Amino acid sequence: MNDLVDFWLEHLPAMLDGLMVSVQVTGVSLAIGVPLGLLLALAVQSRSKPMRGIAIVVVEVGRGAPALILLQFTYFGLPNAGLSLDSFSSAVIALAWCTGAYTSEIIRAGLEAVPHGQKEAAEAIGLNHLDALRYVILPQALRVSVPALLGFSILMLQASSLCFAIALPELVSQAYLIGSTTFRYMPILVLAGLLYAAICIPATIAVSALERKLGAHA
Amino acid sequence: MSLNSSSITQADVAPKQPLLRLDAVGKTFGTHVVLEDIDLSLAAGEVVAIIGPSGSGKSTLLRCINQLEPPTTGRVTIGDTTIEAGHTPTRRELMVLRRSIGMVFQSFNLFPHLTVLRNVSLAQERVMGRTREQADAVSMQLLARVGLADKAQQFPSRCSGGQQQRIAIARALALDPQIMLFDEPTSALDPELGLEVLSVMRELAEGGMTMIVVTHEMRFAENVSDRVIIMADGRIVEQGPSGTVMRNPQTERAQRFLHAVKDR
Ligand SMILES: Nc1ncnc2c1ncn2[C@@H]1O[C@H](COP(=O)(O)OP(=O)(O)OP(=O)(O)O)[C@@H](O)[C@H]1O
Ligand SMILES: [Mg+2]
Repeated sequence: MNDLVDFWLEHLPAMLDGLMVSVQVTGVSLAIGVPLGLLLALAVQSRSKPMRGIAIVVVEVGRGAPALILLQFTYFGLPNAGLSLDSFSSAVIALAWCTGAYTSEIIRAGLEAVPHGQKEAAEAIGLNHLDALRYVILPQALRVSVPALLGFSILMLQASSLCFAIALPELVSQAYLIGSTTFRYMPILVLAGLLYAAICIPATIAVSALERKLGAHA
Repeated sequence: MSLNSSSITQADVAPKQPLLRLDAVGKTFGTHVVLEDIDLSLAAGEVVAIIGPSGSGKSTLLRCINQLEPPTTGRVTIGDTTIEAGHTPTRRELMVLRRSIGMVFQSFNLFPHLTVLRNVSLAQERVMGRTREQADAVSMQLLARVGLADKAQQFPSRCSGGQQQRIAIARALALDPQIMLFDEPTSALDPELGLEVLSVMRELAEGGMTMIVVTHEMRFAENVSDRVIIMADGRIVEQGPSGTVMRNPQTERAQRFLHAVKDR
């Protein structure tokens, strides 16, 4: 037991470095992906056919293709097309795409939850489309979407472990690296799992609490 | 107490040229004809009640007037802006129209995420370009007029239905409209709460506001409005001075409707 704790303590700094990378790649992907999801949700409802078409393709590919395939496509596939990216950038593109696709559905559901009378009232008092969206529809739609968006963010942190496949030095990659030099794969992967859990379990509890709070005010 | 002090002068200059005119307005949804050949003209200061059976097109008529529902035929003229069916109105035309016409809905449709004050101020800032201070000051006056100044910082969900509808009236008045449209403003309310809304509307009417009121309140139609329009099956079947129409309707369809209402 002491031996295990010593082993963990010895490798904790490297593992925390990996966790930082996991959190960073997730954070940047969400920061790009969620606004993308909002734009896609609006584009899918757009009156312009080409816009709708493009949005639907982006969403369906992002949701249809496994995240691992998207990662490998951006990292190994794009260089064939003349675009070489480092692993962090590739990871962000793939995960932001995935995030945009899934969150567009979450946000679309939020937009649909806003009663039609709200849009009519906004139009009747003279607001233009953009103002109606900005001041009346979106605040209500996003409030509905927030718990699902946060839940999705937690899933994305876990999904970022797939980035080990493109040599991004995130938590799981670090664990494998340590495993391959010490031949103690099991204990180090357990530590990786514990570190994910240390973030995800409190975050999940916080999200459900928020959900209850928002539900109580609705 | 006057809710619209400027309208006396409006009434003096406007009688020849109507404030609002509908010419042969029609609306179809697919093949379903909902409004047919509606002609209507409204002088400044006039209060018109529209009554008629459910599904006769009363709400659709109001929604065609402010283009929430674009008419399929005919034209709507307000002041010197005319919107022809079939042409998408320009942003400017739409803006003129929406600023000239305030609308109050059966289900209030207040913005639940904004305080009462913000509900009333929002359009003043975004549409009229007032600063927040200016807008809030005007909103406070309007809320005081509908008797709800003390609710300014509350959220709408904390207000009763009657209070919410009065807030909705203040919100519609905030753009200084020339005409107010009411679509069954008391139908979602208990009779008692309805009364407080009706009394605000009566004050508005007495202050000279031009109003079109779709209502099931026969007393309001008879006593407050100058003119009553009875609709059935998408058409105007009878119209005239409220006393005459309500007590002595000429057409068979109008008699049948009023009979049914009074028997209840
Ligand atoms: N968006 C729409 N699409 C299709 N049909 C519609 C639409 N809006 C209204 N209608 C139809 O138009 C007819 C008139 O509806 P409207 O709501 O104007 O009647 P109303 O006189 O206001 O009735 P009520 O007294 O019940 O409010 C109804 O048959 C209704 O089903
Ligand atoms: Mg109606």
